[in-house]
Amino acid sequence: MKANPNIDELLCSFIDGELPLRQQTEVRRLAARDPEVGQRLRQLQNCKILVSAMPHAEAPGEMLERIRVSLERRTLLEEPPAARRVSAGAWHLLLRKSLAAAAMIALLAVLGVVVYHIVAPVPGPGTPVPFADSSGGERVVPVASGTATAVADAGFAGRLELRTGVFPQADAFIRTALEDYGVTASVEADADGSARIYRVAGTREGLTRFVTVLGSIWDNFDTTRLHVENPQLYAEAITVEAVTAKQAAEIVGQENTKASLDQAEYYAVRNEMPGRSILSLLSDDTGRVGELATIPKPTITGGDDPQEKKLAPSEGDAQASLTIVLRSSK
Amino acid sequence: MYLRAVSINIDDSVLVRQSQSGDTDATERLILKYQNRIYNVILKMCGNPDDAAELTQEAFVKVIESIGKFKGRSSFYTWLFRIAVNLTLNHCQRSARTSARSLDAEDRNQEGTDRQSLRDFLKDDRAVDPALVAESRELCELAKTSLLRLDEPQRAVVVLRDIEGMSYAEIADVLNVELGTVRSRLSRARSNLREILEAMLK
Repeated sequence: MKANPNIDELLCSFIDGELPLRQQTEVRRLAARDPEVGQRLRQLQNCKILVSAMPHAEAPGEMLERIRVSLERRTLLEEPPAARRVSAGAWHLLLRKSLAAAAMIALLAVLGVVVYHIVAPVPGPGTPVPFADSSGGERVVPVASGTATAVADAGFAGRLELRTGVFPQADAFIRTALEDYGVTASVEADADGSARIYRVAGTREGLTRFVTVLGSIWDNFDTTRLHVENPQLYAEAITVEAVTAKQAAEIVGQENTKASLDQAEYYAVRNEMPGRSILSLLSDDTGRVGELATIPKPTITGGDDPQEKKLAPSEGDAQASLTIVLRSSK
Repeated sequence: MYLRAVSINIDDSVLVRQSQSGDTDATERLILKYQNRIYNVILKMCGNPDDAAELTQEAFVKVIESIGKFKGRSSFYTWLFRIAVNLTLNHCQRSARTSARSLDAEDRNQEGTDRQSLRDFLKDDRAVDPALVAESRELCELAKTSLLRLDEPQRAVVVLRDIEGMSYAEIADVLNVELGTVRSRLSRARSNLREILEAMLK
């Protein structure tokens, strides 16, 4: 029988029990009356039987476990992207914070540099540089610089502070020496007469001789202190404590200002070294051991042959000035 | 075995509610209850045991992942089969070319040995005995081969009706088609099966 879709649908519905009872009866009657319909019904019925008779397959025994593993794997695979998103977000935030902090630091650094350039003092040549000495204090020393020539031309200026228990004798000695060694000087006295200020000026050589002469009564001074002025702007004076006559003469007698400052700095440090007092007892600046162990009596020089000893400052020499402050220690 | 026995006696709606509330035992009972039927339908549709196992697993995973969204507008049974059949149909469409090649090879191998059995089957002088067909390995192989020769929509209808035993209404629900579509599609499918079997004798 040639397939008729309408008949086939009816027959299939009949085979599957999907027809109402009345239609089932009609199909049975039709199939019995028409051999072709009956044959077609058997053909379709056999097809159904053929398919239905196929063996029933069972799922693999581990199906439940496979499903469980698959679910766990999917859970694991789905979580990392979320974690990555969170991680990426955290890193992005951290990066932004870091960049903001870096920008702030850079801005502050630039502002600091600008402010420093505005308010910082312009260092002149020979600006003093502080350094820690052996006693832990801070000392200011001139910086060696390329302007040494300018310093050398500035002459010498200093102040010598002396204290003595034999004030009248010392005063008389200094006055005499001033007259004898051809240096110009002015003498001032304080109100109560316990101090004298001698403003001495002349050549380095004249001033050196004068200071050397003072050495003969040096042991009568209880304290000696020499301040060497530094002509550089803002530079502080160098103070040589317990300066000896020899040291003072050396400082004054240097060839130029820089050399005087260097020498003063040298003695300033040397005189403050520990054990210096013992050393000074054994060896003075001349290297003669024990000379200072004996206290010489003050020698008051007279005005013998003052004209021969007087040295006028030569024209063109760098001028030297020394202010001597003599005080009574009583 | 205990779980399987118990799960069969519990109504699907109860198990679904328990599963939706996070009861993993209920979920496992649903799987055990339907895994063989799902696997069998998928195997008959795709013809490959490995693919059938993979698709069964994937279908249940989808069901478990989506069970929270199941509203009960259809039965769990048809919802489960709808997921499984759709997965299988998609898979069959992707691997249609490969399946056709393998079927051609199987046809050549079976030619000769199965011809007599097929000739007897196609005599049409009487209705065949289902028990005899089931015992005939050759006829079962012929059934498998001819079934896989159908196009996927027809094959799905035949499998759901003749293997799973669904009603036309259930098939329409699973395939999301009209009842008339099921009827006509099933009719054409059986007619085509007959033609395929006759073609094997020529």
